Parts: sequence; structure tokens; C-alpha cells
Amino acid sequence: MSTTLKEPQNTPALPREIIRGSMSARKKARGNRGGRSLLAKGEPMLWLTGGGLVVAVVMIIALLTLVIIQGAVTFWPKPVVQFTLKDNTIYMGEVTRDDTYKPEPGVLNSLPADVQADIAANEGWAHRELVRTGNFDLTNTHFHWVEDFNSQGQTLPKWATVIERNSWGRFYGMPKSFLIDGKVVADTPQAAWAEYIKYHDEVRERWHERRGLEKHDIGRESRKVDHARLEMKSALLEHGKDSAEYREAQANYDAIEAQVNVAYAKIREEINALNAENDRYQLVMETAQGQEKQLGLAEIVRAYPANQLGLGGKISLYLSRWWEFLSDEPREANSEGGVFPAIFGTVAMTLIMSVLVVPFGVLASLYLREYAKAGPMISAVRIAINNLAGVPSIVFGVFGLGFFCYVVGGTIDEVFFKASLPNPTFGTGGLLWAALTLALLTLPVVIVSTEEALAAVPGSMREGSYGCGASKWQTIRRIVLPRAMPGVMTGAILAMARGAGEVAPLMLVGAVKLAPELPIDGVYPFLHAQRSFMHLGFHVYDLGFQSQNAEAAKPMVFTTTLLLICIVAFLNLFAIWLRARLRRKFVSSQF
Amino acid sequence: MSKFRSIVAAVCAVVLMAAPAFAQVSVDPNLPDYTPVSGVVGNIKSVGSDTMNNMMTLWAEGFKTMYPNVQVEIEGKGSSTAPPSLISATSNFGPMSRATKSKEDDAFEKRFGYKPTQLPTSIDMLAVYVNKDNPIEGLSFPQVDAIFSKSRKLGMASSIDKWGQAGLSGAWGNAPISLYGRNSASGTYGYFKKHALGKGDYRDSVKEQPGSSAVVQGVASDKYGIGYSGIGYKTADVKAIALSKEEGGKLIPATPEYAYSGDYPLSRFLWLTVNYKPGSQLEPLRKEFIKYIFSKQGQLDVVKDGYYPITAQIAKKALASVNIHD
Repeated sequence: MSTTLKEPQNTPALPREIIRGSMSARKKARGNRGGRSLLAKGEPMLWLTGGGLVVAVVMIIALLTLVIIQGAVTFWPKPVVQFTLKDNTIYMGEVTRDDTYKPEPGVLNSLPADVQADIAANEGWAHRELVRTGNFDLTNTHFHWVEDFNSQGQTLPKWATVIERNSWGRFYGMPKSFLIDGKVVADTPQAAWAEYIKYHDEVRERWHERRGLEKHDIGRESRKVDHARLEMKSALLEHGKDSAEYREAQANYDAIEAQVNVAYAKIREEINALNAENDRYQLVMETAQGQEKQLGLAEIVRAYPANQLGLGGKISLYLSRWWEFLSDEPREANSEGGVFPAIFGTVAMTLIMSVLVVPFGVLASLYLREYAKAGPMISAVRIAINNLAGVPSIVFGVFGLGFFCYVVGGTIDEVFFKASLPNPTFGTGGLLWAALTLALLTLPVVIVSTEEALAAVPGSMREGSYGCGASKWQTIRRIVLPRAMPGVMTGAILAMARGAGEVAPLMLVGAVKLAPELPIDGVYPFLHAQRSFMHLGFHVYDLGFQSQNAEAAKPMVFTTTLLLICIVAFLNLFAIWLRARLRRKFVSSQF
Repeated sequence: MSKFRSIVAAVCAVVLMAAPAFAQVSVDPNLPDYTPVSGVVGNIKSVGSDTMNNMMTLWAEGFKTMYPNVQVEIEGKGSSTAPPSLISATSNFGPMSRATKSKEDDAFEKRFGYKPTQLPTSIDMLAVYVNKDNPIEGLSFPQVDAIFSKSRKLGMASSIDKWGQAGLSGAWGNAPISLYGRNSASGTYGYFKKHALGKGDYRDSVKEQPGSSAVVQGVASDKYGIGYSGIGYKTADVKAIALSKEEGGKLIPATPEYAYSGDYPLSRFLWLTVNYKPGSQLEPLRKEFIKYIFSKQGQLDVVKDGYYPITAQIAKKALASVNIHD
């Protein structure tokens, strides 16, 4: 009994192996030395740990490569191919994908014998291509599969032109003629194209001007009316229907409405003038099937003769599409156009969340580490915080919806925005509530990393500070916190990365499919924290699962994902840079 | 269904231009043109059907070009989310892909004292999709029931698990059927259950998807898949099969002419639910938005989204039900 107790029971296996291995090596130079000494050198563990790292790195790189490649090629212009099928049907468009497959026996049997023999010679495999044919307004479809055995051949028509439009998706066709005021001024593809180049920029400029008028000038006027209406309603709620205040507010409202109506009429006139000027210019296109379609120049976002583009033209087109993607609003139920509101919403929400979570988390961990006396209570709190990090994020979403939106927001509406009820102001999902919900979600990350950083500050420094007569708070403020700052920043970085990529809770507390109004703009009070917002993560979900034109939306999913990864990386780099600066500052202050 | 049939039967105006090579749906020329008025401001907040999500977005985008200062927020997570948010006033429009249930009507009435008003905005065909390579022509309702449901209320003796049991031969005969469907908050889920499964329960093996487009993409990537979704979500990778109501009945393909004639067994209206106090006047924002939906422009957006527009008579009736007469 006593001898077994004397055995060093909890000696780890590896040192014992080393001892035994070296002993046996001394005793016998032969035998199974190889295996033992391998263990002794620790190489299996090296391989295991190294292998773990390699698997992780390979997975990350593979995922990133997939996203980058798929995301980057989305905007690269492809040639426009014209297919003529055996039954003389013509399809013209961009080839988006191809597929090698085994045709079904039923399909196979209906084919001519020579084609059947060809396929049989190929072990039953056939090839087909998915062609984006566009022209949804004429054909009600976006895509067609073209089987190689069904096609007579393919050509690259010289004047095949891709037109990206404000609505109805892409148009593929040949320029036929150009109309000004209904008169034909050009009737060959080349001449029509030259006219298009000549007039398109100025027409689009007028179109943007019109959009500016609609957005800013009309917006300003209707806000006046809205304001007066709310004042009238407040007066009604506060003083009753027969009061002098209500009558005054009503008169005021009528006056403002009359005034605004005059302004409206004036702006409308300007808009109509711009529209009329733009409507003068029409491009007539002919589809590959011979249908004619007249397109107003203002409707055309971008057009290019795809098969005539050189490398320079392709690059400039590629960049212009990226620019539109980054800077413009979405069109066509989000499947086209840009994602600027989503970028803005993601960044604004992440920043507001960081501003909320970091001070709160630092204060909490300061108390836990510096003031509180260790005991069961504090351990319980720590365990609770760590467990909070494991709660599914959707639960935070439900809490945010129930508590922030309905309870807090509903109360705010009752007290401050009574006039606009039943339309909720704060009592529904919005930027503020989303940021608060995510702040709760990321709180454990900040608390844990701040606590670690505080614990790493040597006790001797605190004692030195106390020795000089500093109080507890002075010590924390001057000695401990500056030293712990890089650790706090690490927590903030982790929190931001987690928050920016989170989608599930946001779906409940404010991220929506379409909200072109930015939460920050030039209208008083500038930050509209109650507004719903668009989020890149939610945009990915929406494009991937809810888009009507799923095939066309798929590449956009990758592009949006790429953008989201870039934004998270950028935010992280910024925080890392900040941390490095803080570290440097701290090091220099030592001397 | 019966409501749909009766309205369609009452309105015989079939508005279809079927050019030989381009089956093209066009809007009723008798629909009114929408002309903007002044004084429309506020917030359009729509919560409801996922099937109508894109259509609501298109309507909102179109409406915004006329009233740039109107704010728009659209959420689409399923028809069942529409009545609760109308009741709690967190939304002012509730798009739904099915009629309200009596339970929902009661809850609404308890809060406001009247029932919610539903306007038929467009026509959808709920299509049963299979992979593009699947040679199947069509299925009868009892067959569909035996494929999707474990209760088999429509009377098939045994369940259908393999494509062979649905009439395919060769390599397809032994291939297992893989099922795709919607989640239970969806109106499409409820509609399909009620009309194609005789209110029977779905099988546990149905893969529930978060969106209509996800069902179509599931079927597109699964050679032996079958699923149901709105016709607007059809892509080149799937095939909408023909359906018949009875075993051995005439198979009706999912094309617009059969939606208008009412012969296609799963055609339905897509509804817009609003909180309208009978006899009152809607405030300008909701009134104008509804007018926009029932105008030529609004119905053109319906075509854009792949659904079928309603006729001028249905539009007139719908507008009259919320006291809009001009």
C-alpha cells in the first residue's frame, strides 16, 4: 500500500516515457528504440499540433478563395453568344454556367440516330450551357438551358449589346435606330450606337438631377407638412377638439399645406420638364428573335457592345460596376444596383454597438477584478457571464424585441410620440435597439478579455502606487487602466468581429429587406436611431433565399459576402492599429 | 379556393396575349393610370408574406418614385406574421398569401371591433416543382398527397416514396423522392396543406426551407427533389409540373391561361391585409398606396415579379371595399 503511494502518480506520461526511453537507450542500444524515442522527442505532438494548424489554415484559405474568386468575377463582362437551335429557335445572351450530364432515356430516344450515337460514344454524357437571355418584359424568363446536341451552332454577333436598365433586368439585343423627338436620326447599328454615346451622359445627368429634386426638394416640403400635421394632432390630444390651440394649429396646418402645394407644383413642373427633355431620346433595339423594343435613354443605366470590348473597355466596365455596387441604392427588389445603404447600416450599427459595449464592459470588469472580494458570489457572476457567451444569438434577438422594442420603445412612443401613433416610432425594430441587442451579445467577450488584461498588470505596480499615497481609483485610472488598454482593445476587436457578422438577432430587431433611408442624414436630428436599417449579412440571406431571380442573384451573394468580409477586416485593422498606437504610447511613457 | 373561383367566374375578362413564341402576360388596359397627388407622407411598414416580399418591394420602389419622401420598410417572414403586427400596429400593411383564418379575424376584432379587410392584389399559381431533368409530366392530387403527407387524406392506399411509384421507369424507378417545403409560418405551407393535402399533416422528411426561393434552389440542385412554391420563383433549373384534381383527371399545366380560367387547381389570390374601419376614409398614405397597387403601374410590377395581374373589375371591387371610388 505504502509503496504504491510513493509512486509519483501524477507525473505526466511523457516525462516518464522520456526517463524510461533514455534508460532503456542506455541499457540496450537495440530493440524498439525508434518508436519510443520519437515520442520522447515529442515529434508526434509536433505533427498533431502542426497538422491541426494546417487543416484550419487550409479551410480558411479555401473558403476565402471561393468567396474572392466567385465574388470578384461577378462584374467581369462576358461575351454575348447567339445560339441557333435545331428547331430554329434563337437564344442570345451571356453563358453563365455549364454542366455535363446524362440525358434521360426519354429525351435520348427522341433524338436523331446520329446524335444518339455521339452521346453513346461519349459514355452517355452530354453537355449544356445556361444562357442568361434577359428581356424579361418580352419573354417572362431570365435564363434558358441550351443543350449542345440541340444547337446548330453559336456565333458572336458584332453588335450584340448588353443593356442594364433601371427596371426589368438586363436587355440583350442589337441597336437598330435612334430617335430624337420621334424622328429617326440614325438607322444603322453603328450610327445608333454613336448617337447613344453622344446623348447618354447628359440624359443620365438630367435623370440624376430629377432624382435629387425628388429626394431633397420634395422631401423638404413634405417634412414641413408632416411637422404641421403632427403639431395639429398633438394639440388635439392635449387640448381637445374645441380648444383655441387646436384651431390655431389647424389654421397653421392649412396655411402650410397651401404653401407647400404651390412649392410642389413648382418642383413637379421642373421634374416634368426634365422628364420631357429626356423622353426625346429613344434607342430602338432589336432582339435576336427580331422583336423591336424602344428604350428611353433615361432608363438605361449602362450599355455596352459586349463582343467589341477590348481589355481596357472591360476593365473600365468592371470598375464602374464595382463603383455602382458600392455607392448606389439597390434596384429591382435588391437583385441589382448597389448595396450602399447596407454598407452604411452595417458600419453604423457596429460602431454604435462598440461605443455602447466597451465602456460598459470595462466598468463591469473593473468592479469584478479591482473592487469585489473573491467569493462564491463573484464566482457565480463570472460563471454567469461566461455562460452568456454560449447563449444562442437568436435568444438575444427575442429578448431585444420583447424588452427594447416593445417595452422600452413602446413606452417612449406613449410618452413622446403620441401624435404619430398608431404608427410606431421607437416601438419597433431600429438601429438603436439592434445595436443594444448586439452590445448585450458581445458583452461577455469584452468583460473576459478586459479582466485578463487587468489581471496581467503586476501587483507590484499597484502597491507602488498605493505607497506613494494614491487612492484606489487614482491607481486604477493612472496605473492599471493604461497598462490594460491594449487588452481592452483586443476585447473590442473580438466584439466588433462577432457583432458585424451576426445576422439572426438582427432579423428580429431592425434589419429589413429594403430601407433606403440612411439612419444618419442631413435632416435634424441627424442621427435617426429609431429607423430600420439594411445589413450586409441580412442582404446575403435575402439574396440567397428570397430572391425571385435566384440565378442572377447567386453571384451577388458572393460579392456581398466578399464585401462584408472586407468591412469586418477593415474595422479590425483599424482597431489593431489603434491598439498598436496605445502600446507604443505606453512603452514610451516608461522612460 | 371557392372564393377565388367565384370571383374569377364572375369576372370573365381574360386578359392574355399569347404570341406564339413569347407567352407574355400583360396588364388589363382598362386599369386606371396612377397619377400622384399631393400631401402623401409617412411610413409604409409592411410585415407579412415571404411569397409577396419582392412584390411589396417593387410596389414600394414604384411608389417611392412618385412620393420620394415616403419611408419604406418591408419585412417578409411568412403570412402568419401579418395579422399580429397589424393588431399591435407595428405595421400598416400585411401582405398574405392566404385568406385570414377565423382565429386571426377574432383576435383582430377583439382589439378593434371589426374584422381586417383583405384585398386581392394579384394571382399566383402554387406550382409543384421537380428538377429540370425529371421526365415526369404531371401528378394528381392524391399522388401529391401520398408524396408529401403522412395522413394521406385524399385516399391513396400507400405512401409514395420512390419515383417509380409515381409512374417513372428505368433509372428513376428506384430513386427515392426527396421532399422540399416551406416552414410553418408561411402562408404557402398552410395553403398547400389545405388544398393539396386535404388538411393532412406533412411528412417529417420534408426539408423545411426559410424562403420560396430556397425551395426552388433545393429542387434545382437535387435531381430527385420535389417541392412547392409560388410560380414567380421559377428558374431555368426546375420544371413546374401539371396537376389534376382527381386520380386520372385531366392534367392542367401551370400556365397563365389556366390560372385565369380557374382550372389550375392551385391558383390563388395574393392578398393585402389592412386595418380598415368600415365606412371610414383611409388616410392619404394608405389610400394612395392601395390605389397605386390597383393601377396599371402597380399591376405591371406584378408581371415584373412573375405573378399574374388582376383584371380591372376585380381591382374596382377591391378598391370599393375600402371606400375608394375615384
